[in-house]
Amino acid sequence: MTATTLATVPRELILLANATDVLGGVTAWTHQMARLFAAHGHRVQVVGIHEAELKLTLPEPPAYPVTALYPSHPPTPWRPRSPLAYFDLRARRREAARVADKRRAVARLSEIFRAAGPGALVIVTQVWPMEWVLEADTAGVRLIGMSHESYEYSKRCHRFRWIKNSYPQVDRWLTLTQEDADAWIAEGFDNVGALPNALGALPELPSPRTEKTVASIGRLDDQKGIDLLLESWSLMAAERPDWRLRIYGAGQDAAALKKQCTALGLDGSVEWMGRTDDVAGALAASSVFVQSSRGEGFPLALMEAMASAVPCAAFDCAPGVREIITDGEDGLLAPPGDTAALADRLLRLTGNPRLRDTLGDRARVNVQRYSEAEILRRWHDLFALLDR
Amino acid sequence: MSTVEISCVVTAGADPQALRRSVESVVAQTMRATEAVVVLGLTVTAAPATGRTTGRTTGRAVGSDDDPESAADDVRAVADELAALDPARVRIVTSGAETPTTAVLRNHGLDQARGRYVIVLGEGERLQRDACRNLWEAAERSGTELAAGRWTRRAGRRAKEQPPARLVESELYARSRTVEALSEAPELVVADALVTGFCVRTALLEREGLRYAEDLERGEILFGAQLAATAGRIALVPNLIVSGRAADDPAGTLEGQLAAHVRVAQLPLLQGDTALREARDRAFLADQLVPLARQFPRLDADERARAAALVAALPAARTDPDLRLDLPPLERVCLQLLADGDAEGALAAGYALGRPGAVTSALSERDGRVYWGTALPDDPRARAALDVTELGHQYQPLADTPLLNHLTHCGQEGDRLVLEGRLPTPLQLRSSEVPLTATLEFLVRGTDGRLVFRTPVDEVWRDSDALRWRAAVDIGALLRVGGARDRVCDPHFALHTPDGTTTGPLFLERDRVEAAGHFRARPRRGRLFGDSWKPYVTVKHHLALQLHARRRPGRLAAAAVHYLTHFRPARKAKRLVKGVRRRFDRIFARSVKTRVYNRLLIRLPVRKGSVVFESHMGKCYGDSPRAIHEELRAQGRRGVRCTWSYATSADGFPTDVTLVRRLSWRYLWALARAQYWVDNQGFPLDLKKPAATTYLQTWHGSAYKRMGFAESRIKAQNASERDKLSAALARFDHFLVRSEHDVATLARDYRQPAESLVACGYPRNDRLVRARAADESQGRFPRPAVASDLGIPDHRKVVLYAPTFRGMPKKGRTTQLPLDVRQFAERFGDEYVLLVRAHYLESAALPVCPPGTVIDVSGHHDVSELLCLADALITDYSSIMFDYALLDRPMVFFTPDLDAYVAERGSYFDLRAEAPGPVVETEGELLRVMDELKQSDATHRADRARFAEKFGGYESGQAARTALDVLFAGRPRR
Repeated sequence: MTATTLATVPRELILLANATDVLGGVTAWTHQMARLFAAHGHRVQVVGIHEAELKLTLPEPPAYPVTALYPSHPPTPWRPRSPLAYFDLRARRREAARVADKRRAVARLSEIFRAAGPGALVIVTQVWPMEWVLEADTAGVRLIGMSHESYEYSKRCHRFRWIKNSYPQVDRWLTLTQEDADAWIAEGFDNVGALPNALGALPELPSPRTEKTVASIGRLDDQKGIDLLLESWSLMAAERPDWRLRIYGAGQDAAALKKQCTALGLDGSVEWMGRTDDVAGALAASSVFVQSSRGEGFPLALMEAMASAVPCAAFDCAPGVREIITDGEDGLLAPPGDTAALADRLLRLTGNPRLRDTLGDRARVNVQRYSEAEILRRWHDLFALLDR
Repeated sequence: MSTVEISCVVTAGADPQALRRSVESVVAQTMRATEAVVVLGLTVTAAPATGRTTGRTTGRAVGSDDDPESAADDVRAVADELAALDPARVRIVTSGAETPTTAVLRNHGLDQARGRYVIVLGEGERLQRDACRNLWEAAERSGTELAAGRWTRRAGRRAKEQPPARLVESELYARSRTVEALSEAPELVVADALVTGFCVRTALLEREGLRYAEDLERGEILFGAQLAATAGRIALVPNLIVSGRAADDPAGTLEGQLAAHVRVAQLPLLQGDTALREARDRAFLADQLVPLARQFPRLDADERARAAALVAALPAARTDPDLRLDLPPLERVCLQLLADGDAEGALAAGYALGRPGAVTSALSERDGRVYWGTALPDDPRARAALDVTELGHQYQPLADTPLLNHLTHCGQEGDRLVLEGRLPTPLQLRSSEVPLTATLEFLVRGTDGRLVFRTPVDEVWRDSDALRWRAAVDIGALLRVGGARDRVCDPHFALHTPDGTTTGPLFLERDRVEAAGHFRARPRRGRLFGDSWKPYVTVKHHLALQLHARRRPGRLAAAAVHYLTHFRPARKAKRLVKGVRRRFDRIFARSVKTRVYNRLLIRLPVRKGSVVFESHMGKCYGDSPRAIHEELRAQGRRGVRCTWSYATSADGFPTDVTLVRRLSWRYLWALARAQYWVDNQGFPLDLKKPAATTYLQTWHGSAYKRMGFAESRIKAQNASERDKLSAALARFDHFLVRSEHDVATLARDYRQPAESLVACGYPRNDRLVRARAADESQGRFPRPAVASDLGIPDHRKVVLYAPTFRGMPKKGRTTQLPLDVRQFAERFGDEYVLLVRAHYLESAALPVCPPGTVIDVSGHHDVSELLCLADALITDYSSIMFDYALLDRPMVFFTPDLDAYVAERGSYFDLRAEAPGPVVETEGELLRVMDELKQSDATHRADRARFAEKFGGYESGQAARTALDVLFAGRPRR
């Protein structure tokens, strides 16, 4: 790691996110990278558009400046809904205040950019802050955009249009996988590259894979597809009566899922574990990891399971999943939504200890291509590309 | 900028603006460590040895008194100007060679390049802004010495730039990848992908001594192939790298192309790899020589002869007949004629390439095959190249056959236009000696054939294998057009024979039209609208006549009209009208309609007794909704108003009902006010059902593959998408089922509550139940009327082939049937008539077969009629099997991809175990099974009875009546 530190000059880095401290994957990523960059001698600061209500707890207080442009989520622009609304003076006053606030926020952002000096790199981790960046004075700084979701997922929501409108103006922007980047290239972008997320720390000890337990970790909501997992489990539970399915996580669908579990007659083999902070511990106590999501970006849970040497079965729902797992090599993939196929993969994993060992051991080795050192090297390569 | 990463070599051609475009694109690169190496030849400065050039070379101040217009013409001046703009990134080098060909200049540029990588740009080619960054990153990350990406070339006026079709189809640049061996991406050599759009390490060029071949006109082709051969690993990116490459011009660049092609084939790489060499030869034939033949009608006679001679002089291995075997027949013929050096034959065949079904040469028959041309070679391989049997000209009636009306003379005798022409004798007229007459028809363009002037052709006579004719027409007296909008006439030649009339435009070579001058014109509105007719050749190579004003009053009037329609206020008004129309069209957008329907129309009161029917999303008037409608009509209920929806055409729909086009405003109005909805697939999913409306969903078939919420595709959708589907399915008030199987599959997975299920079978199948009873009491004859409509004789049995839906074909394409219909027709043509029904969403392209052996019934509205007619059924996974089982007739399951299909879509039962007939996976097996259908049939009788009972247990023949009773009883209580 010292080699990478020395190989590159210290830089001014500004990481710009929606919020400085909201509970969520992108914020966690932002602080992970900020810490990493700072540890390698770069001068880092994190700028958020606003401060959040639901706070993320950081492992340690940040050693770099964190700024928020707004104290809370800024109001969305006003659009009159009916002809009469044009005469709504209160709305107009609110809108004027919003515009003035935005002008102030943009000025502050420009000031931050100016202070960072020429040659500074601004990493816009999500597309929404581009609304402010495009109005700010970006002379002398280089812009790096990012999208932390798959192309398909963007395509189905409003962010597709946002990306199409604002990312042509950045120097380079990054998707999570090359497959997503290729999809965006086909959409007409020429300034897009790919850079995966980094895996945190590698657990000291791999899972012994002795417990007859299948683990699932994720929020209990529709996107994580726990209902599909229960369906798959019901197809195979009878053949593996001594195995347990442990579902970690909490969420809005908890009640409905538990009801479904009872209806399927799985109460005997499914354990609801609730939310956990000790992911490594949960993985150490299981021999198989299953991910039944309907949509993903670059799933951290999957990487963590592999780092613990737990073999995985997952729906092939996004390029990120295919990128992390090579089917049959260090995990097993099933076509998205095909519950029978997922049940089949689980049967194979639970029925064959030797397969679990080969896949698990290989997974622990292979997933280290996303180690922090490796990802940092790729960031430095990117900085070097932008320098030329 | 300390080091140069990429040098872009730009050679100066004749066009200074092309040079400017290329260099400016290099200067605009986002990667700043890029330089443009502009290579000039000595002659560029030496050639215009006038004061103009010397003035400029001595200094700008002296040259400033020069004419700026002419200065811009000078390549050297442009280069200097560009270098002055950005001296750090634009470098001019001059080659001292005596003959500065492009290859020489490029090699000089390569010698002078300082970058670690080089890019070579052709004339007028532009790099995309991020091209250098993308190529550099790809090469550095993968550690390759060669990186390449997409490029596009110009495509004529107003046409969008496109990459070559073969590169798009091969998906060479579909994704980022590193090619380890050439076999992973043969198109790099086969399709000349590396003529531009790549960057290569300078070190590789130096190590291998790679340079452009200076004796080749198109050295980049050989250079690209050599690069691919020596680079080893190659990084490919999907980014567009280069645009603006010169358009493809097969005739203009033929000599250079041929020379380069021959040289590439001699490379050790291709000599050692027969498959690669043949693939390249094949691609060359299809991509260079077929377009050349297509271009022939545009060339003059000398150019054609020269081109044909050049092709004929190719080494025989490059045009081996075996290479062309998998090409379509006409392209094969073109290549054979070109290889023979037959320029006039290739002209006729090239003319036919763009006109499907056209006969442009005499045909001959030998041993039951049909050949292009009459002088057949003895060599069977060369003869096979001329075999056009599969085009089916021998079965075509004369009236539908476009012929090549080749004008051999177009001249002027006084006021008369003299035309002489020749056309190939069609096969149908070969033997008969019937008298022939012909008419010249002048179709006035823009009147949709409403205005035609006719005059008889003076003489028509036979001349060996051609028909010849001559006509002299007084154009001025004949063409009495108004003169305002009807200013162009297209003459057509109509040949009258006892079998019918064939009409077609007159083909004229471009260089022959000059012989005819101007002809007096007398427009009905007066001479101001034009005073003469001028013959010209259209872009499609046909003779046309245009009204002109040659004299002063007419010219003045034309100028005045042009001014009035083009001066600034007129242009502004046109834009305004366009904008208003666009806004107006927005009212008809689907989203607007849906919103208005769901918010406003749905509140309208229902109209008592109104029923809206729809079958297969409006595709046809058939299926169960039709059966219910017919039952309704037979019952003669009073106060019932029926409305049918159609998708695109109202043909075949009943006339005594209201017809509305699907998704039109009238359709939405009818849906909003209807008391009853009857449909077999689903009214548009985003339309809500009015509160007082009852919806009868008949559904369109029992299920073999998994449906609805049991489909993986639906399961993987997100919550809002699934909620939308749920809401759409919850609109059904009644859902018809045929058996307990339906209840356990369709009804469950479409989440239909038990009280909405109607266990009566499908109304469309009532006819089948009745037909079964009739079979048993009186036999299968006489056949239903539809048999004679389709022209099926009684002595031949009818086999229906109905495969299932495989997903929509791409736009402009048709589906390939899994069954080789032609082979079936050849084998069983005497015994069976094969009816082919593609799924209602598809249209299949059937090959031409002898008349009466294969009939496409995809457009037929009612499948039940066809089922009653068919003596046997061939299907795969289509739900038609459940219906046909009711008839107790032989069924064969032709399932070439059974396991793959089941793995992908999932199934409710095991077809091999349940099928009431043989399940075969290969065509050979199918033919064998069809051969012994009668003998083996007895063994399947019991299976069929069981199958019909299991999947159609509720079918009683009374479904339509029951369904109507249920419908009019209203909605079930929930």
